[in-house]
Formats: sequence, C-alpha cells, structure tokens
Amino acid sequence: MGTSRFPPSIWGGDRKRSAEPLSQLLLRLMSLRGRGLWFRRPERIPDAWAGSGSPTSPSPRAVELLFAAMQRHLGSYPLSPGVRVKLVSAGFQTAEELLELKPSELSREVGISKEEALETLQIIKRECPVDLSRFASVSISGKKYTALELLEQEHTQGFIITFCSALDNIMGGGIPLTKTTEICGAPGVGKTQLCMQLAVDVQIPECFGGVAGEAIFLDTEGSFMVDRVADLATACVQHLHLIAGSHLEEEHQKALENFSLESILSHIYYFRCHNYTELLAQVHLLPDFLLEHSKVQLIIVDGIAFPFRHDFDDLSLRTRLLNGLAQQLISMANNHKLAVIWTNQMTTKIDKNQSMLVPALGPGFSGCSCSLSIITPGRTFREPPKTITRWKRRRIIFKDFAFVYMCWVRFTLEIFSSVIKGNHQVIINHLLKHLYRIYLSKNMVVNIKIHKYIYIIH
Amino acid sequence: MATKKLTRIGLSQDLCDRLSRHQVVTCQDFLCLSPLELMKVTGQSYQGVSELLYVVSRACAPQMQTAYEMKLEKSGGPSSAFLATTLISLDEALHGGVACGSLTEITGPSGCGKTQFCMMMSVLATLPTGMGGLEGAVIYIDTESAFSAERLIRIAEFRFPSFFNTEEKLLSMSSKIHLYKELTCNEVLKRIESLEEEIISNRVKLLIIDSVASVVRKEFDTQLQGNMRERSNFLAREASLLKYLAEEFSIIVILTNQITTHLSRDLTTQADLVSPADDLSLWGGTSGSSCVTAALGNTWSHCVNTRLILQNLESKRRQIVIAKSPLAPFSIFNYTIEEAGLVLQDAEGD
Repeated sequence: MGTSRFPPSIWGGDRKRSAEPLSQLLLRLMSLRGRGLWFRRPERIPDAWAGSGSPTSPSPRAVELLFAAMQRHLGSYPLSPGVRVKLVSAGFQTAEELLELKPSELSREVGISKEEALETLQIIKRECPVDLSRFASVSISGKKYTALELLEQEHTQGFIITFCSALDNIMGGGIPLTKTTEICGAPGVGKTQLCMQLAVDVQIPECFGGVAGEAIFLDTEGSFMVDRVADLATACVQHLHLIAGSHLEEEHQKALENFSLESILSHIYYFRCHNYTELLAQVHLLPDFLLEHSKVQLIIVDGIAFPFRHDFDDLSLRTRLLNGLAQQLISMANNHKLAVIWTNQMTTKIDKNQSMLVPALGPGFSGCSCSLSIITPGRTFREPPKTITRWKRRRIIFKDFAFVYMCWVRFTLEIFSSVIKGNHQVIINHLLKHLYRIYLSKNMVVNIKIHKYIYIIH
Repeated sequence: MATKKLTRIGLSQDLCDRLSRHQVVTCQDFLCLSPLELMKVTGQSYQGVSELLYVVSRACAPQMQTAYEMKLEKSGGPSSAFLATTLISLDEALHGGVACGSLTEITGPSGCGKTQFCMMMSVLATLPTGMGGLEGAVIYIDTESAFSAERLIRIAEFRFPSFFNTEEKLLSMSSKIHLYKELTCNEVLKRIESLEEEIISNRVKLLIIDSVASVVRKEFDTQLQGNMRERSNFLAREASLLKYLAEEFSIIVILTNQITTHLSRDLTTQADLVSPADDLSLWGGTSGSSCVTAALGNTWSHCVNTRLILQNLESKRRQIVIAKSPLAPFSIFNYTIEEAGLVLQDAEGD
C-alpha cells in the first residue's frame, strides 16, 4: 500500500512520510479515528464497539468497512457541484477528513455557509455504512422533545382514577401514568388503604374510564390484608354494575363479564420483602417481570421507608441505595408507561422547641425524586361517635358511594372545580374543631370549614 | 434471604474468593455496591456485572403470589387466620379477631386491663380449635413482672367453666404457657432472636410481650442527645424481627404499650399529633392544653399493624377503641373487668 494515497492531513501536516508496515498504519488510523477512546480506562463503560472484539482491537471486518468508507472519494457523494469544487480546492479529498470537522469549522475553512456545511456533513454521514458516533462533528442523538410534543404526550397520558371525583379533579384526572407519586402520612391515616384501593382501580375496564391494567404490590410492612382487598374489589364490581345498568350500550356489559372478584385478585402480583436487600433484589428483577407481564400499569411499594430506617449506620450508603432505587423506579415508570406509587412514613423533626411532622428519609428523597406528594398530617376525623350504631350508620352511607378510605377522605374536595396539573403538594392541616387548612402549590392557601356542608372561609 | 452466602448461589469459586477478599460475602454486601464498584471488584465488563446482579437478585428476591392465591390459602384454613377474642362485637369489627401474621398492640393507661387482656388471650390460645382457640402454646415475655398464674387460672375457670372442670385440664393449660422474665432491652432482643427454635419445637401459636414500653423508656431518655435515634433504631429492629416471626410461622403477636402525655400550649400544634385516633383526650371530653398519646413515638406507631387502646371512663366502666387497623373502622366498645377477664357491655341507647 503506497503512502502517497494518503493526503497530508492524516500525518498532521508537514511530517515526512515514510514506509510503514500495514498493521501499524491501520492502528494509526484507528487511533486517530477513535481519539484514544479505545484505550481501556477503568472508569468508562465500553459501548457498541465491544460487540465482536475487545476495545483495544476491533474485529477485522469492522476495520475493513471503516477503512473503505473513509477512503471514499468526495466525488462519489451526491454533493452540489459548487460545494464540491470548494471542498476540493480547500484540499479535502476523502470523507474521513471532512468528518473530523464541525460544521462551523468547515464553513470557515472552505468558505461555504453554515447550512451548506451541515448539509454536506449529513449527506456524508448518511452514506457511511458504519456507526459514526465517535466523530466529534456528528451529533449524538439522544432523547429530545419539543415542549409541544411533551404537551401532546401529557394530554394523552392515562390516569388511574380513584373513584373519588374530588381527588381525581385535584390531581388532574387521577394518579398519573409515567410518573411517580409519593404518599406520606401519619400512621393509621390510610396510606395502605389507598394503595389497595388503587390496585383494584387500575384494573377497571377502559369503557368505564380506567386503564385496564394489572398491579404489582411490593410490601415491606406486612399490612396488606387480602380480606380488605376482597371487600374493595366486591364493592368496585357492584359499583360498576350499577353504572353499566344505567347505560344502554353493550360494551359495558361485555367488559364486566371478565371483571370479577377472582380476576381482580389474580391480577395483583404480591411480593413480601422482609428487608432492604430483598427489596433491592426485587426491583432489579422487575424489568424482566414487566416483560413477561406486559399489562402491568401500576407498581406500588408500600413502606419504602421501613426497611431503611433501622440497622443503617452508614447514612451515605442509605442515601445512595435510596437514590438508586428511586431512579430505577422512575426509569421503569418512563419506559414502560406505568405509574409508580410509594408510601413514606412521617417522622418528628424537632426544630427550635417546636416539633413538626415531616416525611421520613430526608427532604432530598421526597422532593427530588417524585413528581407528586400527598401529605396528610394531622387529624382526619374529629368527632368520636358516641355509640357504635351511629358509626355503623355512617359506614352504610359511605358504602353507598362505594369506597371507604376509613376516615381518610371524609371531607370531599368538591370545592376545587378547577383542574390543577403539574408538580404540586397538597397539604391538609387540621387547625381547630371544624376548621381545615389546605395548602396547594406553596402559594395557595384555602381555609375550609366542614360542618354539615363545606364552607370556604377567606 | 439477605444473608445468603454467595458461595451457595452458583457463582464460580474463584469469583467468590475474589469477592471475599473485598469483604463481599453475602448477597446483601453484593447488592449494596454500585455497578462501578462491582466492576472493579469482579474485574468484569458491564455486561458481566449485570448478569451477576441478575443471578444474585434471583437468589434473594421474594416469591411472587397473586392476591387470589393468598385468598385461597386463607380460606383453606379459616380458623388459623384469626384468634377470636370472645368479645363478640370486637371480633365482628376486626373481621374475626386478632389477626395472625401481623403485630397487634394494646395500649392504655395503667390499670386499664392490658395485662388482663393478655392473660385472657393466652388462655384462649390454648383452647382446642373447636372452641375457637388455636390449640397451641403461648410464649409470654414479661418485663414488668405483672403476670400472675393465680389470676390466669381464675380467668380460665370463670370463662369456660364447662371446659375447665377438672384440675388436670387447668394444669395442662398452664403448662402450655411459657413465661420469660426479661428486664433490659438487650435481653428482650436476644430473647426474641432466639425464639425460633422454641416456636417450632413447642408449636407456639401466640407470642405476647408485656410490655414493650417499660424497658425502652427505662433505658432511653429522649432528652439526651442521640438517644432518640438509638431508640428508634432499637424499636425498628425489634419490630422487624417480630414481623418476621409473625409471618414466617403464622403466629399471633400481641404487644403492650404505655401512654405518655404530650404537652402543648397551642391548640394549633395539636395537628402535629402522631395519629388521629391516638389522642385519648378526645373521648375523655376534656381537651386541655395537654393531651395523651401512645408512647414510643412515631416510629413505633408505623411499625404496628393494629392498635387497640384501652381507656377508663368512670370507676368501673372502660372503653376499648380500635385506633388503627387495616381491616376495621374506628370503633369504640365498652367493657368491664370481671372474674372472667374482660367482658363487653352492650352500647347503651341507640
């Protein structure tokens, strides 16, 4: 192979050409091409080149192809004549030289406009048979959207309805898919109830407004009660039958044929994780599980705080593990288009003689990793029933409206008729006997009074 | 299991040796490292490390069950899922009684009947299944030395006079109750850790710890710095051990707690209370500037699954409240303490 075929730019200018054995020549070319990316550094994760050979010596076939592609003369490309003339007069002869440059540099050197330079490079890139992501001038295409595309996506994205119209309204339709939601609350306030409720709600058929999906339940605290889920499922089935009865369409009746207690319970996949290692292991295995069960639309982690709150002397390890866990869940939510919900505990923070309840695991975990946080500190129920039967009466009333979240959603938020979207925190605080304060999005504060009806007080 | 050694899950021997040189011996250590650290330690590429992660995760991940399978399991053996307390309305509300596989806590001021309740439950657990019991042994960990065998016999005699009509039946019942007196936190924890063998060999169906709060409050003074965290640590560890025992062996766990006064000057800070129904002053009728809550704080409230609160109404009448339960709504029942233990009274009026 004669060295005269290689234009000066390979040797970097005025260097004297001397005869070199072919292998060394190839290695030289490759090192230029790779820009040292093929030398093994322990901190880099090797990528596509590692397919058929080790990073330091790519497979012979790949070398051949690249060589051939790089040496193709510019004249063989479908470039406009004016541009080609200018390129040749500037000294460019083969594709390889061109691809080393960025569009702005090319336009400056050759004297063509920036758009023409970009077009030229794109034509050459298109014609090349091998992967050219190594080259500085070729932009690495990642995931990018315009805001318009995201808006369209958000409009069409599904929600998991909770069957409490006020709660759905305030969250913009229900629990959003492709996003993560955190539910914090005092003990006994109803977090597990809400999770069990949602595991049933995700399975509602589409003609009733649901997403017809399945649910995965990762339990760390052991508070999942099958009997309660069976009650919720039965009530849901009855409620849907009522709705279908009032519609005259066939499809509602047909959809309900497959929606029975048995089918609802068989589509809730339950994992009991006794410690954080089992939780981490299961979350590692979830992507494969999701491939087998493609209809899953909801992942619930009940009690993400509990296994991490004891036996952890190394707090930085805990932070790292939690962040890794959150990231895995977020990526699953995005890639498989499902909703992820986790429940967090509340802990007492003592701040200047005043103690407050804040979500456990630190502010970094709730604030940064999820897109919606529902916090309900404080009392949810104020008047103790004097006798049992009065409570029973109330319970019957709630049953008619299908779902009882124990005392959780006792006050309905029907006063909020406007739809609020985006990242927000809803904090409901109980001040005095009948007075509640609701904080929305940091700036909106509404005081409501609940007696027999709901009044808004300004 | 988290502490499964890597040598047993099918990794090659020299890989295990290499890992153990870096102090990575169990699955837990393996999963705590980030992928980069794993690559350094194992000397493999990213692909290899992902495969190893998959193998290790498979070895210690829990088994999947659908909710339907769980329901079928439960309905297969209905008697073992709950222990009826023989307080009928309470059992109805709790869908059968005290649930097995989860932690139940009884809390209340002193002298309300917590130890009586525990003794009553131990008698019930030894009854044959035909009478609503579990026909098993009972482990009773007593930290306050409040257990009285005489009282136990009297409860049994008066509650089930037809069954316990001979002395040997009473004696055999009392031989099934294993009593341990532990006086410090560490002893309690060690005892719980060593319970597995006893549970299997004696066929234990009920575990009672009376009381959790007394040892903890004796040893951890929350005014001192750092003690709050240690206390939460200790409680969380205890809770996870107990939960593991409860689920693994399907036994009933009953714990006893005390109450504490929560002093607050401002009414608005009442909203910061731990749990809605823990505020006992609500039913007392007097809401002064101080309110009374279950002891051991927030962490412990999260750990227990069911909470029953006992409270005094007047001199003889008391109330039992279901404060936290995944199955039952918030309910209140009146009871008195008699010869036969706790006896429910019907609600007056309607």
